Amino acid sequence: MAAVAVHQFAECITCHAWSPDQSMVAFCPNNSEVHIYKLFGEKWEKMHVLSKHDQIVCGIDWSLKSNKLVTVSHDRNSYVWSQEGTEWVPTLVILRLNRAALCVQWSPKENKFAVGSGAKSICICYYEQENNWWVSKLIRKRHESSVTNVAWHPDNILLATTSTDGKCRVFSTYIKGVDSKESESSSSDLKFGEQIAQLDLSVTWAFGVRWSPSGSILAYAGHNSMIHFIDDVKSNPSAQSIPLRDLPLRDLLFLSDRVVVGVGFDCNPMIFTADDTGLWSFTKFLDQRKAAPSSSRGSQLSEAFGKLYGTSKQVPSNDTVEPSKTRGGAHENCITCIVPLWKRGNTTLCRFSTSGLDGKVVIWELDIPK
Amino acid sequence: MVNFISIDDGRAVGQEVHDPHPHRNQLANPSNPCESIPFSLTPTSPLQSTSVPPSSRSPRLNWSEQIDTGSSIYSHVLLSISKDSTMANTIRLYLTCIRNTLEAAMCLQNFPCQEVERHNKPEVELNTSPELIMNPVLICRNEAEKCLIETSINSIRISMKVKQADELENILAKKFLRFLSMRAEAFQVLRRKPVQGYDISFLITNYHCEEMHKHKLIDFIVQFMEDIDKEISELKLSVNTRGRLVATEFLKQFI
Repeated sequence: MAAVAVHQFAECITCHAWSPDQSMVAFCPNNSEVHIYKLFGEKWEKMHVLSKHDQIVCGIDWSLKSNKLVTVSHDRNSYVWSQEGTEWVPTLVILRLNRAALCVQWSPKENKFAVGSGAKSICICYYEQENNWWVSKLIRKRHESSVTNVAWHPDNILLATTSTDGKCRVFSTYIKGVDSKESESSSSDLKFGEQIAQLDLSVTWAFGVRWSPSGSILAYAGHNSMIHFIDDVKSNPSAQSIPLRDLPLRDLLFLSDRVVVGVGFDCNPMIFTADDTGLWSFTKFLDQRKAAPSSSRGSQLSEAFGKLYGTSKQVPSNDTVEPSKTRGGAHENCITCIVPLWKRGNTTLCRFSTSGLDGKVVIWELDIPK
Repeated sequence: MVNFISIDDGRAVGQEVHDPHPHRNQLANPSNPCESIPFSLTPTSPLQSTSVPPSSRSPRLNWSEQIDTGSSIYSHVLLSISKDSTMANTIRLYLTCIRNTLEAAMCLQNFPCQEVERHNKPEVELNTSPELIMNPVLICRNEAEKCLIETSINSIRISMKVKQADELENILAKKFLRFLSMRAEAFQVLRRKPVQGYDISFLITNYHCEEMHKHKLIDFIVQFMEDIDKEISELKLSVNTRGRLVATEFLKQFI
């Protein structure tokens, strides 16, 4: 129930993604390139360097079924890379954005992908077979600030977004010709760009939105160290907000309908579980740390008492403010990205990987009781 | 959101009142002075407040809120001590408070500019998107010494006003801090000009947090604050000593 493997790839990693067979990892080492490393036995070797972007690549997603990589960057561009032989061939996607792109995710059926941007809009891109290129449709109206994260619902149509205006919104991204019409959903919902719900739970910026595997629960983190869970967004939403003791979260992952992992500025993944009634609570930190020396604080306290009530002579101040304790643990700097690692045949997820600003990619394994 | 923290006899009790979310009641452990004050620095929310008059009898330290009606919304934390208690204790509490605030505030991330395409600017300096900037926090040790911490999504600006008891200290502080500010490149996190009304300012961006450890940056700032006071006292001492020596030598000829 801890870190299975720790790999140091670079000084700082912005985001990462795994290949479908989990033998290769693609990440951005905080510059305009994407490095792809492959595991040969015990060693990692750099296989490819994809350098088409001009500015930092902030989002990478690797589709599991069609083996395509999509990358988005602060230079407002996006490329879809497909592997032909030993080379990766880029296809430019015209996003029609006038500000940086911030995040990207393939849809569950991998026929579309969504890009959130600083232009306060979302791009939904799909492949047009006749013209042999990727077309983008923009959802412009609703956001009041940059869109930080996007998350697809398992039905391939609903998209949840979080933004720096603190709100989480759910949109319908039905595209005629790409999505098949479901018989049960009403036609009014199916209009492209229709806002299904707007959630106003967070006072500060919202990050890390995810749907549960069944699609019934939506979770996102607020920068005021809170995590919000919303049940049944479409018809009868009920929300739970849990305050965290420490620093805010950056990204979330649902391991099952009842277990969520949150990662953020604490450099330590946090597990949240729901009990049988559906009440969420914080369970534990995943990483074992050295116990904080509470005894030193006790002695400070007695020194303080001594100063206040005791002698008034000038003592040399040896009671300097104690320096911050270095944290032990897998990550040394903020964790920015968490990616699931599905095991073939398994329906529940128990492995995931995290990458952070310390340049490490750490693989974690967790036993989830059924 | 209003933060009211009172320190009784060296212990701190932190509580958030006037909170729109009642389940966000975070009561810090009374036995740990200033240990975890999870400051949620929220970007909006106008403050309601009252000002608590400082008590003067027992060695109590009161932190109080004050109203500020200007366009910049900030919580004003005032630390006042009685005449009986020693000064050495308050510096530690002041610095611990600053350290805890910085730990909460220094959660920065790379954020491209919303106003200008392809640019990446520190939002706290740009000041054009109000939703990206948080409430500034002002931590005062007394009327003369204070520290203003302004955070945004990708940068944090820390401005300090150091203690200047008399004219000589005023001149010394100004010269010394100007010397440091002019060499701001060497420090990387120093700002070339202090913010209006303060003596020195730091500007820390997400790039600094990526290159350097966050806790080391905070250590640096807190250590800097401690050392500034010592430096200026030493400088004053040496000026006075030298003045005395020169005067003695000069007046010897008249004996």
